Amino acid sequence: MTKPVPAPPRAPRRRPRGGAWARYARALRTPRGITATVLLLVLVALALLAPVLWPGGYDEQTRDALAPPSAEHWLGTDEFGRDILTRTIYGLRTDLSLILTAVPVSLVIGTLLGLSGYLSSWFGSLMQRVLDIILGFPGLILGIIIVLVIGPGWTALFFAIVIAGLPGFGRLARGGLLSEQQREYVLAARTLGVNKSTVMVRHILPNVVDPLLVQASIYMVVAIFIEAGLSIVGLGINPPKPSLGAMLNVGARYVETLPSYVLGPGAVLLLLALAFTLLSDALNQAATRR
Amino acid sequence: MIRYLIRRLPSIVLVLVATSVIAFLLPRLVPGDPAAAVAGPDASPQTIAAIRTQLGLDKPLINQYFHWIGGVFTGDLGQSLQFQRPVSELIGDRLGSTVQLALLAAIFLVIFGIGLGILAGSARSRWARTLVEGTNTGFLAAPPFLVGLLLILLFGVAIRILPTSGEVSVLDNPNFGFQYLLLPALALALPMSAGVARLVQTSMQAIRQEDFVDLAVAKGVPPWRINIRHILRNSLGPAVVAIGIRFGDLLAGAVVIEAIFARNGLGQLAVSGAQSNDYPVMQVLVVGAVFIAVVAQLLTEITLSALDPRVRLG
Repeated sequence: MTKPVPAPPRAPRRRPRGGAWARYARALRTPRGITATVLLLVLVALALLAPVLWPGGYDEQTRDALAPPSAEHWLGTDEFGRDILTRTIYGLRTDLSLILTAVPVSLVIGTLLGLSGYLSSWFGSLMQRVLDIILGFPGLILGIIIVLVIGPGWTALFFAIVIAGLPGFGRLARGGLLSEQQREYVLAARTLGVNKSTVMVRHILPNVVDPLLVQASIYMVVAIFIEAGLSIVGLGINPPKPSLGAMLNVGARYVETLPSYVLGPGAVLLLLALAFTLLSDALNQAATRR
Repeated sequence: MIRYLIRRLPSIVLVLVATSVIAFLLPRLVPGDPAAAVAGPDASPQTIAAIRTQLGLDKPLINQYFHWIGGVFTGDLGQSLQFQRPVSELIGDRLGSTVQLALLAAIFLVIFGIGLGILAGSARSRWARTLVEGTNTGFLAAPPFLVGLLLILLFGVAIRILPTSGEVSVLDNPNFGFQYLLLPALALALPMSAGVARLVQTSMQAIRQEDFVDLAVAKGVPPWRINIRHILRNSLGPAVVAIGIRFGDLLAGAVVIEAIFARNGLGQLAVSGAQSNDYPVMQVLVVGAVFIAVVAQLLTEITLSALDPRVRLG
């Protein structure tokens, strides 16, 4: 009787193949990821195609003001007889144009401020103080200050979103930096004579990018709410240009006669927020599973 | 505790000084002549000149700052440009409304946040947890103004049992005042309580795995007592922090909620002040909002140390 042959040592478990992109692609193939991607694609496509689907633009008037929903006007018409659905989609366009530019800018600046501590430690701690001060301002108050300085409109909202996001990104980046800075591979790279900025970009940054992307996705939701919050009190996008918040601002006045005026833009706003929430969940799962 | 307060003092002072400098610079950051900006578009050259001397704009910037901050400390908050009344009077008139709203919302935040969190953290049956988590996710995604608009739709159009617009002070008429306060406070509190509930839930689930819980079970401690004495008490830390941090957001949220429910509080004053470039009013409101947020955060940390002796302040 022969002794059972011990199994040959298993090959070491292979890391999931592919780099960061493959990981993110896998994250988007989870149920949450798929829902988020589809929702976002539909919303972005609607916003992009708005001038094709509704060639009249958001200012086209009909004779009926405040008409109830009908086959012709799915959400009814507003106080000037303009189609509410059309204006909602154009409003979505404004919101997307705002958050898809402001959030990445905030992400980049915030990350650079957070990582700056690696190049010069006094500058890093100075920036940390500045971020603490920004963090001390309750959300909308910061927006109101910016509106006061440069006047209401797209630009003010852009700066409000960029600045309010800096502490979140900056702290995450600095946290990652502080924990990676002392790791052997960073010290090794430094000992080998790789210069500091290369170490920062090639070695540290890739290791802190996951939480930053999750935060960016979460911050998209916050950014939507900043736009809506400021516009709803009349300090954001102003008529006649539509935005989801500006629609809610006017719609709230007619909430008892024409509920669809609030429900339509409100639903689109929620869908947009939901899409980014699901996306952040999916990215978060991919980031922690590593 | 006192040592802790002294140690925290520099960073608090730094934030407050920075805020006051920003607030002071507000009318001066606007491109162009600040006196003209303050006076408004149809002011005569004489008015602009008068405002320039009134604001002391002919003196050096540092002097101007100390003059202004000195006024703030002695209660001289300046004159509102849009109402032509002292800022302190305007704020005094509206303070009650916002404080009532914020207090009731804070009470709701504590009750719903911790309540929902306990339900979700201790519910054994699957459907109960699904229900609580579903509600959580729903509220987490919906900002206060949307919840407010939905409440108005529900109570203003469908079931007309609560007023959706206007206000009566609780101090003048407790019954009516409370009715007017209920919906705005709910709108403000519900979305934030979802976040608090999720924190309570996750920390309860984490603490349930701890050894001392197993020990308590083995000792034969009744389950409700384990839930309250052993698990809940140890789970409240993150919730307290979250509530404290959100208190500042509560005030900022009041800006929007007051607009939606047509309440005449400080938020409404901030909005009309920002729309009409009423700088003296805005300066005071900005400093005040940051001051309250900072104090709330400080109180939070003190509460946390009272709740968990392991957290040493010092």
